[in-house]
Amino acid sequence: MAAASTVNKVQEVREVTRLERIGAHSHVRGLGLNDDLEPRQVSQGMVGQLAARRAAGVILEMIKEGKIAGRALLIAGQPGTGKTAIAMGMSQAMSRDAPFQAMAGSEIFSLEMSKTEALTQAFRKAIGVRIKEETEMIEGEVVEVSVERPATGTGAKIGKLTLKTTDMETIFDLGQKMIEQITKEKIQAGDIITIDKATGKISKLGRSFTRARDYDATDSQTRFVQCPEGELQKRKEVVHTVTIHEIDVINSRTQGFLALFSGDTGEIKSEVREQINSKVAEWREEGKAEIIPGVLFIDEVHMLDIECFSFLNRLLESDMAPVLIMATNRGITRIRGTNYQSPHGIPIDLLDRLLIIATTPYSEKETKQILQIRCEEEDVEMEDQALAVLTRIGMETSLRYAIQLITASNLVSRKRKGTEVSVEDIKKVYSLFIDESRSTTFLKEYQEEFMFNEVKAASGDAVAMET
Amino acid sequence: MARDPLFVMNYMVDLEMLAEDVLADKQQVVDLDKKRNSNREALTALRKKQVAPPYCMDKAWLNFGGMFIKVKKDDAITMLTKDQEELDKEIKTVQRGLHEKVNKLRDAQGQKDLSSFDLNPLTPKELSRVRH
Repeated sequence: MAAASTVNKVQEVREVTRLERIGAHSHVRGLGLNDDLEPRQVSQGMVGQLAARRAAGVILEMIKEGKIAGRALLIAGQPGTGKTAIAMGMSQAMSRDAPFQAMAGSEIFSLEMSKTEALTQAFRKAIGVRIKEETEMIEGEVVEVSVERPATGTGAKIGKLTLKTTDMETIFDLGQKMIEQITKEKIQAGDIITIDKATGKISKLGRSFTRARDYDATDSQTRFVQCPEGELQKRKEVVHTVTIHEIDVINSRTQGFLALFSGDTGEIKSEVREQINSKVAEWREEGKAEIIPGVLFIDEVHMLDIECFSFLNRLLESDMAPVLIMATNRGITRIRGTNYQSPHGIPIDLLDRLLIIATTPYSEKETKQILQIRCEEEDVEMEDQALAVLTRIGMETSLRYAIQLITASNLVSRKRKGTEVSVEDIKKVYSLFIDESRSTTFLKEYQEEFMFNEVKAASGDAVAMET
Repeated sequence: MARDPLFVMNYMVDLEMLAEDVLADKQQVVDLDKKRNSNREALTALRKKQVAPPYCMDKAWLNFGGMFIKVKKDDAITMLTKDQEELDKEIKTVQRGLHEKVNKLRDAQGQKDLSSFDLNPLTPKELSRVRH
């Protein structure tokens, strides 16, 4: 495989490095499917929930082939059954191919933007545009640079620059502007530079390794780069993926880039959006751009009201619409903004367009495996007995409560200078932090003593909060 | 599942041939660029009248392979500029061809195709409206 391995690999550059903190779903690395789209019991951070994961895998394949743009999907199930985890898995699995925009239903409501504007922006953040940038540039190591003043005193300076790569070497005669740049950047022999042919700008990439021993003391900022290979005049092609929302922002005001940094985008006029749509369509015709519909994930979709749902219907009809994935844990609830009840709090006409994936509560074995994965993710050592107790707690109360106890019990065990979390630590934390059902029983007993108590004690009509 | 050694060898041979093709193309671009740069140096020298002979300022000696030919300066400049254009076109064609060959190589190795590199490039003005 000698020749094949020396052919240069294509670089993939992740533009911004994101520091990922350990969040509730950071252990999910993908959907955990094998090549036949069959889910493995425990894989890539996902446990159980086989039917839902298989369905999600099928949807993912359809998205990759571009066959499902403008469709919508609903993941519904009780709290703590892995809805957001599946969405996270999908986003990890398709991060390279298409943009994945996640949001919660309540983010729509904001004082700065109207609901329709927030929805439109979210939709457009999920549509990607791929474009290619081509630059011709001369890249090489400086062998010798000489700038001379003519002997007569007046008149133009004469400059010569010798550049080389590992394969060739040549001399350039320099014009006035280039000579100015070279003196300003203090380019000397041994520097590796690039000259952009279109703009004529010179940039220093660093110093050559072979010249590293020239001086005994160098600046800490000096970078040593390898001498470039191949031809001097290279053509660099970079493929960028931007979202249409970014294009909107850049074009909606003259200093567009400032707006992206400050985070506040405000409302974007619809004329600007229409212009951008027609421009992108034009580029698509000319073969200059590719439109990549991505995924917009709306969690807690029951928080949207009837106006938002009508607007969603309209947005889904557009020809560039991304795939809409929604998640909710409500049963038959009132649609916000009306007095009518409907499954999941979503109007029936929108429900009609959806593919629905149901998630089911986890079995005891699955709960244990999930807790084990979370222990590894949070770097906690736990005794087997303690894990069994925690699993019991998780089954009786809720999975999330058990996950919360992991870190808390780890802290308690460290306080007593133990290496592993033991059953006593779990018991202690269990008594310190009460879960939802114990809290409700406690409230029922002492409701008279709490402020603003509105429960009618006689009829026993408790107003329980749906979680 | 043991593979038939003959099959494996044939596969490797095909793979190496594809890779050699890509490497040969890259080498060709390097050679063409060398020629292009030496032409450019010659053009600069001609334009700045730095070439001999002193007794005949409108003619210049040109080196073709092993032969030196005395040519009128204007003719020399036209010849070299035409040569440069040909070289530019040639380099562009080879570079474009590289796309397909690299994709074939990646395909043979089971890697995904490099998509989107066959898009037409954007002009700098259009680029400023898309990225900052």
